[in-house]
Amino acid sequence: MEQINELKFLKVFQKVTKLISMVLDHQQVMDTIVRELPGLLDIDAATIRLLDPSTNTFVMGAAHGLSMEYLSRTNIDTAETMALINSGYPVAKTDVDQDTNFSDQALVSQEGIKSVLTLPILFQDSVIGILRLLTRHNRTFTSEEISFSMALAEQVGIAISTGRMFTEMGNQIDFMKEVQEISTLVNSTLDLNSVLNIIVERLPRSMGCQACTIRLLRPETNHLELAASHGISEEYLQRGEVEREKNITLALSGEPVSIYDVSRDERVMYKDNMKKEGIKSLLAVPLKVKGEVIGIIRILSDSHHCFTSSEINFAVTIAEIGGTAIQNARTYQKITLLFNQVEESERFVANILNCIRPQLLVVDKDLHLVLANRVFLAAMDKEENELLGADYHSLWQDQACPAKTCPVEQVLATGQTASHEHQLIKNDGPHWVERTASPMLNDGGEIEYVIEVIRDITAKRQLEQEHLERVKLQGVVELAGTVAHEINSPLFAALGTAQLLEEEMESDELKKDVQTIIRNLKTIGELTRKMTTMTGFESRDYVGETKIVAFTSNKES
Amino acid sequence: MAEILALDDVQDATVLIGKILTKKGHNVHSFTEEDEAIAYAKANKVDLAILDIKLKKMSGIEVLELLKASTPEMRAIMLTGYPTVETAREAISLGADEYCVKPIDRNELEEKVEKVLKGKDKKSSINV
Repeated sequence: MEQINELKFLKVFQKVTKLISMVLDHQQVMDTIVRELPGLLDIDAATIRLLDPSTNTFVMGAAHGLSMEYLSRTNIDTAETMALINSGYPVAKTDVDQDTNFSDQALVSQEGIKSVLTLPILFQDSVIGILRLLTRHNRTFTSEEISFSMALAEQVGIAISTGRMFTEMGNQIDFMKEVQEISTLVNSTLDLNSVLNIIVERLPRSMGCQACTIRLLRPETNHLELAASHGISEEYLQRGEVEREKNITLALSGEPVSIYDVSRDERVMYKDNMKKEGIKSLLAVPLKVKGEVIGIIRILSDSHHCFTSSEINFAVTIAEIGGTAIQNARTYQKITLLFNQVEESERFVANILNCIRPQLLVVDKDLHLVLANRVFLAAMDKEENELLGADYHSLWQDQACPAKTCPVEQVLATGQTASHEHQLIKNDGPHWVERTASPMLNDGGEIEYVIEVIRDITAKRQLEQEHLERVKLQGVVELAGTVAHEINSPLFAALGTAQLLEEEMESDELKKDVQTIIRNLKTIGELTRKMTTMTGFESRDYVGETKIVAFTSNKES
Repeated sequence: MAEILALDDVQDATVLIGKILTKKGHNVHSFTEEDEAIAYAKANKVDLAILDIKLKKMSGIEVLELLKASTPEMRAIMLTGYPTVETAREAISLGADEYCVKPIDRNELEEKVEKVLKGKDKKSSINV
């Protein structure tokens, strides 16, 4: 009898080994085993669960012969059984539908399960999963059957690990290609939205997932803001604040978070929204730039998916590439903004310079023209590109002021503001110009440029000249007035006295002499009258025979 | 015969006016100091004041204003060696009858004085 069993076991083992060797994908390995084992071992159902290292729980890998309701129960088995399994021991039970210690005993009864053999799937002495063999009739598993099943489970463990390894290797190669492609794409643009959209579209596709979102921390507020999304409804995106969701806070602390079952995981807050959207699993990874988290990427799967280390590494790598590209795009945005601001400022300053009336020019310390306003260009009758870079002295040709009085030369020699006035001969006649040069210093206090302002002061000069002449004339007028007054009073006394004397004289000879005096005094009187008239005063009739002066007014006589 | 007050900072000028007009039968009171002239006019009857515009302390215009304030019917002839629009306008507005420019001829002075004294009883027709 024992030989018959061993032969049977050998055949089963051979068949399983053959099945395992035919497939390389670990999911196919698991599906094949749970489908074939019931027939080979005379059992009703079989399940394989795999350990999710991130949560240290077992998640469903493959099942056969059981209802979805039973498979969806909260606990796999009693805590005692699970402890033994985790320690690497098999556990065989009968009459499990009568076990009142098990919280989901009702589901067990409803499914009609009577006996269960639970086996740890070991790989290199570590439990990587559970194989459960179930019957709907009471069956006591013999020690030979348990030993055989343990060996079978170990074989399954090797097959799963090999398949996983193979899948991982395949994935890694695929991921490397994807990393290369996505890297090329995100680095081909400096437009922030393009970078974000490339990542949210390519990343979930590469990982066989449904959707992806990117949230960035706003530097001013340090709050997360949705920056891009793909494969997800607007309703889901508007579900509410996500910053307090644990998977987000964990990712923001710099660690990737993978969640196999979002409907049961405490790190997920909006379970109903996820259920409605059909999301089963998610992976959240931080977006980092030089170690600093600037946001998060979440990859959402519409099927239960245990994210492997290579998948997580792939997502982390893309997040790092994306983080750098996002930072570059942001920097480019800032530079573009600054550049625009600088351009705007330059336009503003140029407008000011062009609107001021004086001519303005700037030369470097080698006396090359680097800037000129519109008035200067008009005065020179040249275009800007004709003059920029020209030698300063060549601008003036024969009209330049002497080098020793040139204010620009003086500024370069002394470092102090200098001014000089000189005459220019133009088509419409001579013009006076005032040239003021000021130094523009660099951070080291050395002259870098010289600013020269040229003002046409011809009108000012003319006014000054007119004023000077008026002052001179006023002096002459006042002098003439004083002289006239000071002479006229004594002249009046002398003339009148002489006239009286003439009247009283009897000698004709003496009378003639006095008349000579009177005639000459009258000549002096005429002279003082002419002096008054010459300085701008002119007598005219006022009232009756009264004479008054006209034109200029003077206060005192 | 009229009571005439002559005020000029040049004493010779006042003496001359006195001699010319005394010959014409008038009583001439000559002054070189403004205060003395004003005091005299306040205390005595004056028919005509001949005032130089440039005096020592005050102007002839100011003296005219004071004299006219106390004796409005008094006649006045202003003399100046340097005529200006302002002094002419002010003098006329204060009631001066003539505004003469030095050196004035003896005959002209006599004629002006005669003319002004004749028009004493008539209302002045001068408008400024």
